[in-house]
Formats: sequence, C-alpha cells, structure tokens
Amino acid sequence: MKKRASMIVVLSALGILAVLAFPLVFDDPYLIQVAIMVMLFGYLSSAWNIIGGMGGQLALGHAAFVGLGAYTSTLLYLNFHVSPWIGMFAGGLVAAALSVIVGYPTFKLRGPYFVMATVAVGEAIRIIFQNTQKMFGMEIRGARGLLIPLAAARDRLWAFQFTEKSGYYYTILGFLVVILLVARWIERSKLGYQLAAVRDDEDGAEALGVDTTRAKLTAAALSGFFAALGGTFYAQFLSFIDPMGIMGAQLSNELALIAIIGGEGTVWGPVLGALILVPVSEITRTYLGSTFLGVHLVAYGAILMLVIMYMPQGMIRPLRTLLRKFTAPAASPARIGVGTEDGPARRSQA
Amino acid sequence: MAGFEQSTLNGLMMGSLYGLIALGLSLVFGVMKIINFAHGALLMVGMFTAYWLWVFTNLNPYLLILLSVPILFFFGYYVQHFLVNPLLRKERGKKAHSVILMTSGLVLVLENLALFAFGPNYRMARTVVSGTTFKLGEIMVSQPRFYAALISIVAIIGLHLFLTRTDMGKAIRATGQDREAARLMGIDDFKIYKIAFGIGMACLGVAGNLLFPFYYVQPAVGPFFEIRSFVIVVLGGIGSLGGSLVGGLIIGLIESVGAQFVSAVWTELIIMILFIAMLLVKPSGLLGRQRE
Repeated sequence: MKKRASMIVVLSALGILAVLAFPLVFDDPYLIQVAIMVMLFGYLSSAWNIIGGMGGQLALGHAAFVGLGAYTSTLLYLNFHVSPWIGMFAGGLVAAALSVIVGYPTFKLRGPYFVMATVAVGEAIRIIFQNTQKMFGMEIRGARGLLIPLAAARDRLWAFQFTEKSGYYYTILGFLVVILLVARWIERSKLGYQLAAVRDDEDGAEALGVDTTRAKLTAAALSGFFAALGGTFYAQFLSFIDPMGIMGAQLSNELALIAIIGGEGTVWGPVLGALILVPVSEITRTYLGSTFLGVHLVAYGAILMLVIMYMPQGMIRPLRTLLRKFTAPAASPARIGVGTEDGPARRSQA
Repeated sequence: MAGFEQSTLNGLMMGSLYGLIALGLSLVFGVMKIINFAHGALLMVGMFTAYWLWVFTNLNPYLLILLSVPILFFFGYYVQHFLVNPLLRKERGKKAHSVILMTSGLVLVLENLALFAFGPNYRMARTVVSGTTFKLGEIMVSQPRFYAALISIVAIIGLHLFLTRTDMGKAIRATGQDREAARLMGIDDFKIYKIAFGIGMACLGVAGNLLFPFYYVQPAVGPFFEIRSFVIVVLGGIGSLGGSLVGGLIIGLIESVGAQFVSAVWTELIIMILFIAMLLVKPSGLLGRQRE
C-alpha cells in the first residue's frame, strides 16, 4: 500500500508540473488554444455535473446559464465599466437565482418530462435573447451578438483580457481547480450523499427523510452559478457573444455529453470527457472540416454512440481499473470494482 | 377577413402534417417510455429518401409513399434492433438516460452524414404539385399542403384502426400499457419495440413524401420539426393518436394565426411557453390518460 501511495504522489506531481509548464514548453498558439478549450469545457461540464451527474437530473438547458453569465458580465462591463472579474459573480448570482426559480416547478417532473422541460426553458431563453435588441435599457443587439472591445494596455488585466494566450490558460486552469475542489467537497458532504440517493432512487430517498427538493435546488443553484462564471470566461476569451453560440441547444447537449462520456457523477469524469472529446472535435474540425464538411461531427457522434453502448458508466471506469493495476500490481483482484460509483454500476449490468 | 380564414386553413393543413410527424414520436414514447431525440433527424432521413426516390423515378410524390414507407420501416426496425434494444436490455428498470444520449449521438451522425453526402444547400423539388393552387371560395389553397393534410389524416386514422383492430396493434398497445404482463401473455416485447419504432419511422416516411413538394430539403431541417413534435406530443398526451392530431392542429393554428398579430419569432416563444405550462400543469396532456 505504501508503494502504491507513493506512486500516486509521483504521478500527480508529474501531472501538475506538466499542466503548469504546458504553455512554456509549447509555444504554438493553436495547441494552447486547444488546451484552453479542453479546460473550459471540462470546467463547464463539471458545473453541469453537479446537478446532472451527481444528482442524476438530465438537464439539457445549461447553455442558458452559460449565456446569462456571459451577458451579465459583458453588459455590466460595456454599460457601467464594471470589471468582468466582479461582473462574473453578478452573472453567477443571476444564473443561480434563475436555476432555483426554474428548478422549483420542474424538479417535480420525472424522467423524460424533466428533460423536455429543461430543453424548453433553455430554448425559450435563447429565443428571447435572440429577438431582443434592448434589455433594461441596454443594447444586446439580438442575434447579431455583442463584441467586447480590446481594452487599453494598462486596463487589460482589470478588463479580464490578456495579451498572451497563456494568460487565459492559467485563468481557466484556476477555474478548473476551483470547480474540482468544489466537486470533491460536494461529493463528500451531506449534500453529495443526498444527491447520490436522489440519483439512485428518488422515492426511496424521500421515504428515508431526505429533503430531495432542497438537495436538488441547492445543487442546481451551485451548478448554474459555476456555469455562469464559465460563461464570463468564454465571453472574454472569444471577445464576442451571440445567443446561438453561447446559449444554443448544441452547447447544452455538449456539456452533458462530455460529462457522461467521461463518467457522470464523478469528480474527474467531465475533465476526462473534455480531454477526449474536445481535441477530437478541434483537430478533426481543423484538418477535415474544410475539405469534408461535417465529418468531424460524424466521428464525434460515432464515438458517443460507442461509449454509450459499451461503457455506459463512462470512460473513467476502465481507466480507473487500469490505473489501479498499474499502481498496485499486487493488489488482490477483489479490491477492483469496489467503490461508491462502481457498486451500482455492477448491479445494473448484471 | 379573407386573411384570417386563409391563415386558419393554412394552420389546419400544416397542423395535420405536424400531427402525423408527432405521431411517430408519440407511439415510440408511449410504447417504450423513451424520448427519441433523433426524431427530427429521422424525419430528415425520410425527406431525403422521398426526395431522391423522386429525383430518380420522377413519379408522383404521393405514389412514392408506397416505396418510402417500407424503406423507412426497416430503417427504424434496425435502428431499434442495433442501437436501442441493447441499451434497454442493459438497463431494465433503470432510468433511460442512455437512450436519450444514444439518440443524440445518432442525430450527430445522421445530420452530418447528410451534410457530407448532400452538402448544405437547400433543395426545392419541382414536382407536379409544387406551387399549384386551387380556389375555395375566396381562399387560395396550396395543393401540396392540401394533399399533405388529407393524406396525414388518412394515415392517422389508418394507424388508429391498425392499433385497435389487429392482433399486432393490440400487442403493441398491450406492451405499452404493461410490459411485464404482455410478456406473460407470450408477447415478445423487444420484437414489439422494433415494430413500433419501424411504424414510427414509416410515419416519418409518409411525412417526408408529403413535405418535400413544398418544403426545402436540407440536412438541418430536423430540429424545427422535432421541437414541434415534442410540444405536440405533450400537448395532446403521450401515446394518444387523437391527441397528436389535436395538438398538431393547435400548434399549426398558433403559428399561422399568431403570425397575423405578432412576428413569427414571438409565436415560437408562445409555443415554448405553452409547452412549459403544459408540462407543469398537466403533463398527461389534453387527451392523455392519467397514469401512475
């Protein structure tokens, strides 16, 4: 066991070093761009995972929260010169409030009805933004979207802008670390156990005295809050936002798919999903997108279908088994597959 | 005043077709309790099938229904066989999340294969009925829309008779009502699922033939009809054929009559809000039976 623990420490240290040194070693802006997108989607998908994975509520409208965060901080910046570093918390609070307001009635719905309600709410919010020119007296320019102008050099940091791509890299890395810590904290907190109970058997949890509505609402508020913060980052990184891109159904689906392919309900699942899917989509888009229209999304869809068919618990499970074998070759096989996520998975496949 | 009558009739005609499209979703939903997120993409497959059959044979689009229905039936039958049934077998009694995701993956594959094969162009077919009209009193009626409505209603009634009068239809309904009991009666439930999905697809095959004479054919045509179908199915009541037709007519009327008063985008919002309200207030739908 001692040997295994030290192996893990060494591996983690190497991993952290690699992540920190990445922009210094690779000077290629394209590679850094892909790395930023991986972490951004890992982050957003982790935010979704709080309610979608840990709570098992398949919400397919999370792009609305991302978009609300992006629009709130951008509008505050453009109209009142509020730094997006502050504006993003305003956006987070707006999104958290909305997710509670929407969640309160929709959490009464089960299964397909809940899924459809989240799709409908997300779409309704997008339609409103897409067809409104002015909101509370502020220009939002409907479908044309908003451009975030480049700030003067001395104001840049304050305006959440970086001259170098590596600035965005370390920022989103910080975001990602925070959400992983939050996810880990939730997983081991009372809320985490309540959510797991809701996910596995909602009626049973209720019968045992779990306040399921409260647990789901808390998770939804956290999930919306963090998704909105990611929206602000997304807006600053692209320096352009439009309802179709940042609030569209496609983004909503992508966030859920990444978490599920990685392993929904686990802390590292969304990151793993983003690590696999984002480069696939970026690279195939770059190299195949211009010559073979649509091929990159065919590949994306096919991978998705294969994972769902053969690894319904996500890719983190086989990876974990592999890691255990690698770090502890002498461990008895009985240990493998015993864990909080692995238990129910075993049963359902039997 | 003629404008109002005109838009009412247009709404009813388009609404009947919406009803037929939603019917496929409703049947699959009602029998298997799963949402098929690929419904729109499968309609796109139906439209392209109809379109290419027409390009190659140059026959009357309505005659081609006889060809596209079996093609689409078997397409659906095997989608169920290879993609959905294995998942349902694995997660007996569990929430059917994975089916939703499987069908989302299928959407990506189908839409982008179509994009790859046929390109992003909007194709308009010039069939014998395209663009023709006839006069009904003061109102100009578009012939392809009129035939589409007529054939949709015939198809819905036909399916209703099939489900209520034949043994196979009764077996499908029995499986939808209580799968365990149906299995005890000797019904092969997974086979029924394949047939139900096939029939759902066949409806889309008919709809594809009805649509392409007056609607553009394009790889991304699906999502619009899919959202419409979800709304209609919930509005009318899941698994209810009459409900699909009623829901379709309501949505058709809202979009065409509503467009007389507000811009088209706001009718979209009205439809969405109606959908959300219906989900919250009466998820069993207007004509659906209260279950559970």
